[in-house]
Amino acid sequence: MGQWSAAVMIRLKELISDLQDFYLLSFRGVLNIFKRPFYLKDTIEQMDYAGAGSFFIIFIVSLFVGMALSLQLSAELSRLGMKVYTGKVVGISVIRELGPVVAALVFTGRVGAGMASELGLMVLGHQVDTLRVFGVDPVKKLVTPRIVSSIIMLPALTIIGDAVSLFGGYYIAVFVSNQSGALYWSSIREELIFENVFSGAIKPFVFGYLIACICCYTGLSTKGGATGLRQSTTKAVVMSIIMIIVSDFVLTRILLYVLGFSV
Amino acid sequence: MIVFDKVCFSYGVRQIIKDLSFSINSDERVAILGGSGEGKTTILKLIMGLIKPDSGKIIIDGEDITGKTEDELREVRMKFSLVFQEGALFDSLNVKENVAFCLREYTKMTEDEIDRKVRELLRTVGVEHAMEFMPEELSGGMHRRVSIARSLAACEPMMFLYDEPTSGLDPVNADNICKLILELSKDGKGFIIVTHKVVDALRVASRFIFLKDGELVFDGDSEKLLHSDIPDIQVFISELNYAGVKNV
Repeated sequence: MGQWSAAVMIRLKELISDLQDFYLLSFRGVLNIFKRPFYLKDTIEQMDYAGAGSFFIIFIVSLFVGMALSLQLSAELSRLGMKVYTGKVVGISVIRELGPVVAALVFTGRVGAGMASELGLMVLGHQVDTLRVFGVDPVKKLVTPRIVSSIIMLPALTIIGDAVSLFGGYYIAVFVSNQSGALYWSSIREELIFENVFSGAIKPFVFGYLIACICCYTGLSTKGGATGLRQSTTKAVVMSIIMIIVSDFVLTRILLYVLGFSV
Repeated sequence: MIVFDKVCFSYGVRQIIKDLSFSINSDERVAILGGSGEGKTTILKLIMGLIKPDSGKIIIDGEDITGKTEDELREVRMKFSLVFQEGALFDSLNVKENVAFCLREYTKMTEDEIDRKVRELLRTVGVEHAMEFMPEELSGGMHRRVSIARSLAACEPMMFLYDEPTSGLDPVNADNICKLILELSKDGKGFIIVTHKVVDALRVASRFIFLKDGELVFDGDSEKLLHSDIPDIQVFISELNYAGVKNV
């Protein structure tokens, strides 16, 4: 019993220490944006990797998500005699909810996992220690550019993903479900009001920040060779996915309240 | 001068270093010997302030560094040139960019000046031809050489710290690295070399520290080392019998 409680205490202490380190890293990562030196080249490289590199996969995933959503809604709404609302529901779902979440999940799988494994490998190969030996702050050099690139590129990718999803929905609504294209677009245009656009636009910034912080932290905490690298990469992806879903719910609740939607 | 005063260090529940005390002058050529996991590399990390001891003092040039912050440690770190095992070159940068890293970070040198300086440093370590190579294109020996050049570009060190500089190298490359280590310490600069290869240690060092279970079990010159009756040291020295270099 004594051993068991001691083990629990040790684990609890580790957890609190991990949380403290994570908050510190997240805070310093943002604070460093305003401090010299600015690693512009590193930031641009990260933006290229995160943005241009993720474009194709976001395009494909968003297209099929939009098509599947439109297909499901067309089938269900036509049964209820409300097929004309397909565009409206696709628009709200994609802009407010699905677009930001799908883009963030894809971003985690591609960019977040890459961040964690790259930083983990740098830790194991003593490259992070080398930076410290040279007097370079690893958070400023490695974490801040990744946070900046994620905060900029995820919203951009989300906008592209939203547009592609809506086009996917349009294709199904018009060419499969034989609805009017003009009606589809006009009902989507009706939903492009401030409340909906703001609700969908704020989420990618939060998700981008969370993904970068979680993945950089787990990457920099890598220990124990190849197995440790595998564990930290898996942990980064799993934690990011959980945090995206949880923060999506919390943000949705807050935004609905702030923007005056009644639930 | 480096002074370790009753230093203890643990990774989690595993104690790596126990009550370790010694002092090393900056012009000494010291080899720290011991098996894998005996805390040899940990000593170098403690000297550089990359990790903090659980207890005890580490004094560099009269200053206790154990309570210093990252910013304060920068000045201490500039006194040493640390070459990690396998080089620790930045994968995403080529050889030139690796060596130029600190020049770009801390100086206002022009591209031409950086180019000249990098060439000069790479010539010193004998890998000028590899200037445009990426780290994955380099052999083990070249890795270490480029890493030494990079550390020379970072500062004018008081002392060199080498972490297993010859491990994993063939005898020719290991010999070349040993020659380079001696060459760089010609003008009176000392070094600490951490290794488990007694042959290489005897080639370059004049003082030997042997660690066993995180404790210092031997501190002396080559003569004493070769005639030590400590069983673990005798096992290490048996390597010399195979190599036929007992009378170094």
